[in-house]
Amino acid sequence: MAKGGGLFNLSKFDVVVVGAGPSGSTAAYLLAKAGFKVLLLERGRGAGSKLLWGGKAYAEPLRKVWPELDKEAPIHRWVTKERISIVWGERALTLEYKLGRKVAFTSPLPELAGWMAKKAESAGALLLDEVPVDEIVVKEGRAVGVRSGNDFVSADVVIDAEGANRILLEKLGLADRPSPYDMALGVKEVLSLDPRLIEERFGLERDEGLSWLILGDITAGIPGGGFVYTMRETIGIGLVLNIGHAAVAAEKGILRDHVSRLVEGLRTHPYFRNYWREADVIEYGGRMTIEGGLRFVPKRLYSNGLLVVGDAAGMLVNTGYTIRGVDTAVTSARLAAEAIIEARDRGGFTEENLRAYEEKVRESYIYRDLVEHSGIAEIFDDPFFFSKVPSLATRAASKLFEADYGEPSLLEAIKRSAEEEEISLLRLMLKVGRVVRRI
Amino acid sequence: MRIVVGVKWVPNTQAVRIDPETGTLIRKGVPSIVNPHDLPAVEAALRLRERVGGEVIVVSMAPPPAVKGLELVLGMGADRAVLVTDRVFAGADTWATSYVLSRAIQKISAEIGRVDLVLFGHETIDSSTSHVQAQVASWLDWPYVYYVSSIEPLGDNAVRVERELEEYEEEYVVELPAVVSIAIKAMKPRPVSLQSKLRAKLERRIITWTNADLKLDPRCVGLKGSPTVVAKTVDMPEVPRKKEVYRPRDPKDAARWIIRKMVEDEKLREVMKGIVGDEL
Repeated sequence: MAKGGGLFNLSKFDVVVVGAGPSGSTAAYLLAKAGFKVLLLERGRGAGSKLLWGGKAYAEPLRKVWPELDKEAPIHRWVTKERISIVWGERALTLEYKLGRKVAFTSPLPELAGWMAKKAESAGALLLDEVPVDEIVVKEGRAVGVRSGNDFVSADVVIDAEGANRILLEKLGLADRPSPYDMALGVKEVLSLDPRLIEERFGLERDEGLSWLILGDITAGIPGGGFVYTMRETIGIGLVLNIGHAAVAAEKGILRDHVSRLVEGLRTHPYFRNYWREADVIEYGGRMTIEGGLRFVPKRLYSNGLLVVGDAAGMLVNTGYTIRGVDTAVTSARLAAEAIIEARDRGGFTEENLRAYEEKVRESYIYRDLVEHSGIAEIFDDPFFFSKVPSLATRAASKLFEADYGEPSLLEAIKRSAEEEEISLLRLMLKVGRVVRRI
Repeated sequence: MRIVVGVKWVPNTQAVRIDPETGTLIRKGVPSIVNPHDLPAVEAALRLRERVGGEVIVVSMAPPPAVKGLELVLGMGADRAVLVTDRVFAGADTWATSYVLSRAIQKISAEIGRVDLVLFGHETIDSSTSHVQAQVASWLDWPYVYYVSSIEPLGDNAVRVERELEEYEEEYVVELPAVVSIAIKAMKPRPVSLQSKLRAKLERRIITWTNADLKLDPRCVGLKGSPTVVAKTVDMPEVPRKKEVYRPRDPKDAARWIIRKMVEDEKLREVMKGIVGDEL
């Protein structure tokens, strides 16, 4: 072994964190601050480089870790408008809510995660990028470190923050191979536009942002949805598609094109395209994510010398109208760091002492939300909500607003639309009723 | 064997702009990487070291952020790195660059230990001149072999190299010291290793030399020492695309559609006439 390197021993750390995304960097930051020797390993070039998302993050859980968030973080715009649209053909039905507080902000996730990693580094954690971890090494029932290629580093505690694609956890047998129905594919384009035009077209003040969720045939009937987020000088648009259903759609010939075509469909859609008229596509990308919900949460979030945080732990709450993955990742990592600090004070990182992490997660808002919104899984399992419901809703709206014979009542409009779509009203009410009770 | 490998820190995107005044690259705001064509040279050096022992020293003339790139090369297993950095070196053409690099190599020989071999990549992705290697060899008055696809140690004072050219191969025995540039994709660079990267971060294995160390005449380095004059840079105007998409099921329809489009387009029709004549 080479000579020692001053502050650190080259192959022995207190904590090794796998993955420098939001959860990994949070854990590394808090533990380095508490005096642990922390090694943060990232396979991509630079922290956050493997990330891709819409991008809206809820601020309060992040402020618990970084009270300086509002001043220092790369916050592009505070979300002041939430929009939800149902689109079918050229028809669209939109609901907009104007917020009164600074609740959530937009930011490109690689940038935000980069900031979090910098925080971890300045607290004393050692970040190494371009180092893929091949294995979490377990000896005599206890995680003792990680292996990358032929190299091993040992640690008292390993934190698995590897993200949605749980290669390491699956290898350890701590997570099963996920069902394709619990996974989604995110595809996205970044459009560059003058900030003044962004503000004019979306009706925003400077630093104000909009978050837009879209349902309907833009996903070709595949369970999932579209999103639009305004950044400082860009607009992020894209789709999230359930992988299981997308595969079925591809087999049946419903999804004939590459999914990037669907994003193009959103970009050129007559209802949306004028918001980003003359904007340039400066980036595009795709990434696998999780649908959210209890089904993806591993049976246990801890074992001897090991904790699982962030997406790998299934810490993503999808309520159907909001998707929370960053604040939940940060919170799970904060709870993990707390548990590790307590375990140190109690004399060791045994299974017994680390169990506190899972208890903390169960008591937190994340778990409550995961249980509360478990009904969302039912929606994602049922293409009915992504084909019949949007077509019915827009058809009913057309009866209200495009009526050229006696104005029907709302109920009458829905009834007539249901008849035309050959949907049983009873079935519709049952399905929608069940879902409304559970999301 | 003490091997020096020259690496360049280059802008990574097509979005490079050119300063209209000086004709040099504006690097600001463009993310940079280690020139990918240099990595096979690093790999060649590491393989030689594995066979005969010795030391691999990476040298780069670059602004301070290039430390990030040197960490990558150290992470592959190089023993140390020398970053030659000074404002007076900025704006250098290949001549001024090769002058500084050759003086840095001489300083390595004098202070760290005798350099036996200097390796370079074939060219850089941002300028593709392949000048610097040959110029360094001239400054040092060492032999220079390029397009090298493999390199083998031959005793203590020579290497056997193979050059793969388009129609034939050549083999040379080159006496050391020498400068050799490794052909593009001649060797697959190894990935970064965790331990090497840890050492790169934790042990101060990057030496920084400024002109206070090299003591070169400021008139011979940087923009001032660069005889290359960029006479003119031509901005190629972007051709506006029509953004038409036609996707028929039958490829024959697609072919007909394309031909019709070409015939309808005045400029394309002229080009087509030049090819197929008046039958069009």
